[in-house]
Amino acid sequence: MSLDYFAALLGAVLFAAAPLLLAALGETISERGGVINLSMDGTVLFAAMAAFAAARAFGNPWLGLAVGGLAGAGVAAVLAFFGLVLGASELAVGFVLTLFCRELAYFVGHAAARQPGPDLGVLHLPGLSDLPVLGPALFRQSPVVLLSLAAVAGVWFFLMRTRSGLLVRAVGESPAAAASRGFAVRRVQILCCLAGGALAGCAGGFYSLSVKPGWGHPQGCEGAGWIALAIVIFGGWKPTRVALGALFFAAIQVAGIALQDVLPGLSGTLFQIAPFPVMIVTLLVVNLRRSAVFRELARRVPLFGRLMPRTAGGAPGAIAGALDKGF
Amino acid sequence: MDVVLSHIVKRFGAIAANDDVTVHFAAGRIHGLLGENGAGKSTLMRVLCGVVSPDAGTLTVDGRDYDGLCPEQAARLGIGMLPQDPLDFPPLRVWENFALGGGQVLARREARGRLAAVCARMGFTLPPDVPVSRLTVAERQQLELARLFDRDVRLLILDEPTTGISPAQKEALFAVLRQFVAGGERVVALVTHKLAEARELCDQVSVLRQGRLAGAFVAPLDPPAILSTMFGAETASLAATPPPPPPPLDAEAVPLVTLSNVAFADTKTVLKHLTLTVRPGEIVGLAGISGGGQETLLRGLAGIAPTVAGSLTVAGQALAGRSLPHFLRAGVHYLPASRMEEGLFPGLSLLDHLRLAFPEARHEARAIFANRCVAGFHLTNVPDAGAASLSGGNQQRLLLSLVPDDTRLLLADNPTRGLDAASIAQIWEHFRARAAGGAAVLFFSEDLDELLAQAGRVLVFYNRRLVADLPAGRFDAARVGELMTGRADGQEERA
Amino acid sequence: MTGRGSSLVRAGFALALALGVTLALVAAAGAPPVATLLVMLTGSLGSPTACLRTLSAFAPLLLCGAALCVTFGANLWNIGVEGQITLGAIFCLWLLRGAGDLLPPDLAVGLSLGAAMVGGMLWALLAGVLRTHGRVHEIFSGLGLNFVATGISLWLILGPWKRPGMASMSGTEPLPPVLHLPLWGGRPMSLWGLLLALAGFVFVAWLLRRTFFGLALSAVRQNMTAAGRLGLRPRRRMLAAMGLCGALAGLAGGILVAGLYHRLIPSISGNYGYTAILAVLLASGSLRALPAACLFFAVLTVGSIQLPLELSLDSSLAGVIQGVLVLTLFAARRLWPADTRGGA
Repeated sequence: MSLDYFAALLGAVLFAAAPLLLAALGETISERGGVINLSMDGTVLFAAMAAFAAARAFGNPWLGLAVGGLAGAGVAAVLAFFGLVLGASELAVGFVLTLFCRELAYFVGHAAARQPGPDLGVLHLPGLSDLPVLGPALFRQSPVVLLSLAAVAGVWFFLMRTRSGLLVRAVGESPAAAASRGFAVRRVQILCCLAGGALAGCAGGFYSLSVKPGWGHPQGCEGAGWIALAIVIFGGWKPTRVALGALFFAAIQVAGIALQDVLPGLSGTLFQIAPFPVMIVTLLVVNLRRSAVFRELARRVPLFGRLMPRTAGGAPGAIAGALDKGF
Repeated sequence: MDVVLSHIVKRFGAIAANDDVTVHFAAGRIHGLLGENGAGKSTLMRVLCGVVSPDAGTLTVDGRDYDGLCPEQAARLGIGMLPQDPLDFPPLRVWENFALGGGQVLARREARGRLAAVCARMGFTLPPDVPVSRLTVAERQQLELARLFDRDVRLLILDEPTTGISPAQKEALFAVLRQFVAGGERVVALVTHKLAEARELCDQVSVLRQGRLAGAFVAPLDPPAILSTMFGAETASLAATPPPPPPPLDAEAVPLVTLSNVAFADTKTVLKHLTLTVRPGEIVGLAGISGGGQETLLRGLAGIAPTVAGSLTVAGQALAGRSLPHFLRAGVHYLPASRMEEGLFPGLSLLDHLRLAFPEARHEARAIFANRCVAGFHLTNVPDAGAASLSGGNQQRLLLSLVPDDTRLLLADNPTRGLDAASIAQIWEHFRARAAGGAAVLFFSEDLDELLAQAGRVLVFYNRRLVADLPAGRFDAARVGELMTGRADGQEERA
Repeated sequence: MTGRGSSLVRAGFALALALGVTLALVAAAGAPPVATLLVMLTGSLGSPTACLRTLSAFAPLLLCGAALCVTFGANLWNIGVEGQITLGAIFCLWLLRGAGDLLPPDLAVGLSLGAAMVGGMLWALLAGVLRTHGRVHEIFSGLGLNFVATGISLWLILGPWKRPGMASMSGTEPLPPVLHLPLWGGRPMSLWGLLLALAGFVFVAWLLRRTFFGLALSAVRQNMTAAGRLGLRPRRRMLAAMGLCGALAGLAGGILVAGLYHRLIPSISGNYGYTAILAVLLASGSLRALPAACLFFAVLTVGSIQLPLELSLDSSLAGVIQGVLVLTLFAARRLWPADTRGGA
């Protein structure tokens, strides 16, 4: 395997990971603030359609991307209104929204199906793109790669190093304690929800304007939102680990395509659905590490103790147990 | 700082939690608010710090009148509360919790600087980079106090601050409070149901009973007078009489519970090397501060925390490593401290609870309700009422009525927390009856006085180890307090 | 306002708002709003054939809706119901292909429905065990398994079970007519499907309302910890609920194969699973309101099939209306809360 091939593989993984990264980072902000947005999958799909349609209408893919982000924030606004203002179950509303947005995307996007449209193109930064391996992977690529990596850094810095980020984390840990100290809990949560939706919307735009360009029925990014939700859990609600999780899932998708060249007998559908059993397995591993059985094992065999998660639980206090208890 | 609450009325539904209450918090004093659980003390304090607004009455702060406060207003006026259960952000670090004091979020350097300054002033030692979940209850209290002092609190409310801390930590807290009011400008409002503490600390005391102001006293305080104001004359004598001494145990009796080098692994605590026997008819009290391991013993004996080593036998049945239904079949039953969250079903009726607990007799549920709940436990609710509508005392009564008669081992975690005196007396009578019938009762109480009064034997825990096993007559508050906080060697006390 | 009165107000408000939003969306998409509604109504209720088509969509919806009431009764969000329908269809077809000519036809069809139940039950138990013993939330496991089920059915259609000659996306080789569920006077619907759906619904109602299992299940739903402490074995009950739901959903898949399509097609579950979830949410978990909700949704689904032909609109309009209706009902429930009932 030559260096060029490796560089191409790396580039493909980063490219495929870009929308997953953005969606997972958006949900990380939202869940750190204590709001679970189950409408992720529908939001990504709807925003993909909106971004593509807008790009066609304005002839400008960047404007389309902005519209996609707005569309995502719009869906999140509906969730915030029902869940935080009206007080309905945010999980139930989120789930209904994901189905609704999917159907709405196909209905409204009927006219734009299988039509050509602009896409975000490919960067070609002189100098930087001549670096070995990293050069072509990062700089001779669609701009989505750099944007998504910038988002990782931005979200990490926001959550871990700024005062607003500290407030977000506090609200997510204990809304009651934050409220008793006089912080505007509901406002923080609404903003986190909107930010998450906006990033998911941009992820949709990344799909229809770059990674899987165009719009069709079915669109190629079905299921991506659910994988993003699982990545947030898998990554322990920490932006850097979430990013690694997104890269992992993207690598599975890319490996599927690469292996098809090597082993032509294996069916294409196998690789299309491969991320989903892997998603289940990763969640299983995350939970097993916290289980009583593993704790006991870790006590007896010190080696396993190193694999124990350091933080207890990991989920922000406001949502810990929400997914365990059911709705 | 001078605060007067005048004619405060606050209703929740049909019940008046506060009914025409007037209290004057004078500057430079430590003002105690006494009353048994359910008397309305917490509600009054929540009115004072703006969490709830009163239905009638006025608050007068430094001469200005208010119909009610909101939390931001109260904070600005300098009113702050240290709640009974810590209300902070456990996974965040100490300095981060401090930076989130209220109002503006502080930047890192400023937060650390101010934290260090306040700690130096008050004599606290708080490591700034440790997550709060790793602090002890007393340290979390100190962090809360540091936050309130930094925000220039002038009226400090403390709601039952001494539950869950050792006697020595209590003395340290009291010293801080005395220093706080020493300048003559600030006020402390201490909410407690313990007369002894009020005597030790307070300059003035207001007594609440069933939502009304029953009396106001000035130091030095006279216990009988206060007791009769708190409970009413007859109940006062009841509360003041010590419980009957436990009947002498039959030393030849076959042990009911035997533990041999057992290890219990609970979610956060592991209790190791437990060797213990309990005989039928014993009432055993567990003592310890939080993290000591006493709850783990209860949960391990109940089958909730798995046994990962050693052998555990109850009533002749080996139970180590077996699932919870086996424990139930062996006659072991557990009463949780959080009654609604761990023991009851809010949407189901009381009859449904009986049907679930006694499935073979579910068609006679109404008859069982009349016999057990009403006649036996004096449960005052209608059988079709939902469990969500039960008061604390009735919740505990319902839980007790769900425990089968042939129970051999009854485990109770804080069985009387938050209950009124009548319920408390009834519950202890029930426990004594069970013990007389041949069962064994193990209980944990954060209230050291209750523990020492009711237990025939005391097991003291410290730092996840059983440090002392004290038979009747060999324990008192000082000794147990020292053992609980690791200040004494329990070796010579192991029976 | 009495409970009865306020629930009518809520339903009326939700319906009116949903209608308004739908008309606005349709107009925004450039189609005549009233004509759209008329096309949908005639397509689903305009003729005897249309009514039968609606009923044949109603049967699997009702069956899945009743199945979901069991899992909702234990606080489980069984999103994997789509995959359970698919696996039921696969098991049904597998038995018919394998034993169709070895056994008398009626027995073969009957056994195939039983096999369908087994298939759905196994798929549901897989998600259930992942939840009870692996603490993986059933939304994720259900969804993941839905995609896996779709993959399995596609592989079968294009691989081992493909039509002789050329693999076709229109499905596997159709079954001989003797192996169909008996039709109703030659019309495009099988009465058996409807009867089985109604039987399933009645069974679930009896189970949840009148048995100890139903009471224990509602205890598990309200407080799993307390249920464990009383010795009710919550994990076992949750698995039983999942298994039962999967069996009924698998039966729906079997009815679709043996009674309607007579072969395996891609996406045989046809969104019935997700639509059934929405129907249960619309009925607020109440079994009494479920048949009406399912019928209404069946009308929408069948009516929207005509839209692409007649008005060049995507048939996903049905899903849009269904989603809006449930959301408006959520809003109405928060604005006019009912007295506490035993419902979900």
